[in-house]
Amino acid sequence: MSLKKKALTKSIGVFHLSTGSCNNCDIEILDCLTPRHDVERFGITLVGSIKHADALLITGIVNKQCRPILKKLYDQMPKPGFVIAVGTCSAGRGIFRNTYIVDEDEPLDKVVPVDVYIPGCPPKPEAIIDGIVKLIDKFNTGKGEKK
Amino acid sequence: MTREKIISEIKEKLGGKIKKFRDKSAGRVYIDIERKDLAASARFVFKDLGARFNTATAADHPDSIEIMYHFNFDRQALIVTLTVYAPKGDCAVDSLLPMMRGAEWIEREIHELFGVDFTGHPDIRPLLLPDDWPKDKHPLRKSCVLTDYNNEKAKRKKEGQI
Amino acid sequence: MKTLIPILQFLIFPGFVFTAAAGLMASWIDRKLTARIQYRIGPPWYQPFADFVKLLGKETIIPAGGFRVLFLIAPLIGMAGVTLVSTLLWISILKASSGFAGDIIVAFYLLTLPALSLILAGFASANPLASVGASREMKMSLAYELPFILAIAVPVIKTGGALTIGGILKYQASCGAIAGSVSGAVALAVAVLCMQAKLGLVPFDISEAETELSGGPIIDYSGSPLAVFKLTKAMLLFTLPVFLVILFMGGIGLRGLPLLSGVLKYAALLVVIVLIKNTNPRLRIDQALRFFWGPVSAAAFLAVILALFGF
Repeated sequence: MSLKKKALTKSIGVFHLSTGSCNNCDIEILDCLTPRHDVERFGITLVGSIKHADALLITGIVNKQCRPILKKLYDQMPKPGFVIAVGTCSAGRGIFRNTYIVDEDEPLDKVVPVDVYIPGCPPKPEAIIDGIVKLIDKFNTGKGEKK
Repeated sequence: MTREKIISEIKEKLGGKIKKFRDKSAGRVYIDIERKDLAASARFVFKDLGARFNTATAADHPDSIEIMYHFNFDRQALIVTLTVYAPKGDCAVDSLLPMMRGAEWIEREIHELFGVDFTGHPDIRPLLLPDDWPKDKHPLRKSCVLTDYNNEKAKRKKEGQI
Repeated sequence: MKTLIPILQFLIFPGFVFTAAAGLMASWIDRKLTARIQYRIGPPWYQPFADFVKLLGKETIIPAGGFRVLFLIAPLIGMAGVTLVSTLLWISILKASSGFAGDIIVAFYLLTLPALSLILAGFASANPLASVGASREMKMSLAYELPFILAIAVPVIKTGGALTIGGILKYQASCGAIAGSVSGAVALAVAVLCMQAKLGLVPFDISEAETELSGGPIIDYSGSPLAVFKLTKAMLLFTLPVFLVILFMGGIGLRGLPLLSGVLKYAALLVVIVLIKNTNPRLRIDQALRFFWGPVSAAAFLAVILALFGF
């Protein structure tokens, strides 16, 4: 496994984006950074700018206003990078399906290519960490080539 | 100023304007008033009694749209709600600006989502909906159907997509 | 052959490779200590190295409206400055007579280069947030350079005007550390505060404060230029405390007890930096300006006057 790929799995800068969520998933993501779960020991840190990010952590239903912003942010993220969809809302819109503010034809994975879905409403921090571990395993074993 | 004193002052001052008075619980009091009395009643509760304007909510009824203004008396743990009904044929209510600056955005939101006209509001443009949203569609009205979901689902079932 | 040795000294030891490795280790100590203070576990020892290698492997995106050449050169300016300072300092530690007259002034000037590179970087990205960060970095620079040069003047005065790093080390070898005297202690305290601001750490990380919000002058950097910026910051974390140890605390010896005590002095300064970082909120730019031009400068002037009178 090349050094570049290995370093990418050991040091992930996460950019957190909420595309129209109730904020519970955002709170659970925040819990991952607190001393109880402490994801920094895996090398995962929160970054402020999308240009410093390796993973785009998306919560929320991708409503009409956020869709162009999401596309722009994904384009600005330097590749290779991951897209992680957290929560039932980003997986399939959850209870907000068929509401007036979403586009039925443009779910999340038609806007950006998603690498891992972490369902739950909201998913526990343990589930989020499990999802990231599964993503790293998938990246390491080469299933689903990184762009 | 105790809770009882607040209620008695409201009853005394608003008097004939109160259409219906509902003392629901220790923390909640609901008062129905006419549209034309809204500005005066809100001024009394907000300015003279010194309440805090919490928010405004709206609901869609078959003939009218019900708008509730919630005023908090924090020290007495009491919320006084003034309810007005705007009939759908003539869907307009007096705006509470410029007396209450806090009402500015919630009135914009109720206007775009329910189609209620707030006369006297200086800047009634939409707040939350996207810029290219058609101005005559008010999403939170029950009559606003954007997609006929049941028929769409049946059609897609028939075509074998689901 | 004779010209090859300084080049190798600059590139490998005690120059770039040595300073980079030591700086990344110091940055790991900072993160681990911060984590322990916050009752967390913290990253493993290779984390800063992994961060650096990962950033080298990412693509570099150059903003369209930016000034392309300056955008790419700005990080290198800062890194060159820090590497030169570190080489200068360690050459004088290794052999006290191998400096040149005035090398302490050269070191002080070169240490302003990292801040300058951040300012250039902020203005070369066509980004309003980066411009705000760069202008705040300029104001911070104005604030802390004055007390810093005054604090550096104190060892120079006490050694009777020796303008070489080697001269200051020789003086402290015979007459004891400068921090033992009253003026030296005050100057050391002033220098520690200025060092905290130079390193861009809380409570003075006002320009990069946007990091928590969105990025500061380096908001538009990605890939290798960003790796250079982060490496420069780590190298500063190694070089600046060594600079202060040389000026005020007697320097780092080469073997035996002086080496151990030198390393412990450096570690003590590092711990002070991390503790200040973790127990303070961030200041506003006007508060920081008032702080550095008020109490800190006054203390620095006091230290200079005390040194002139021999205390």
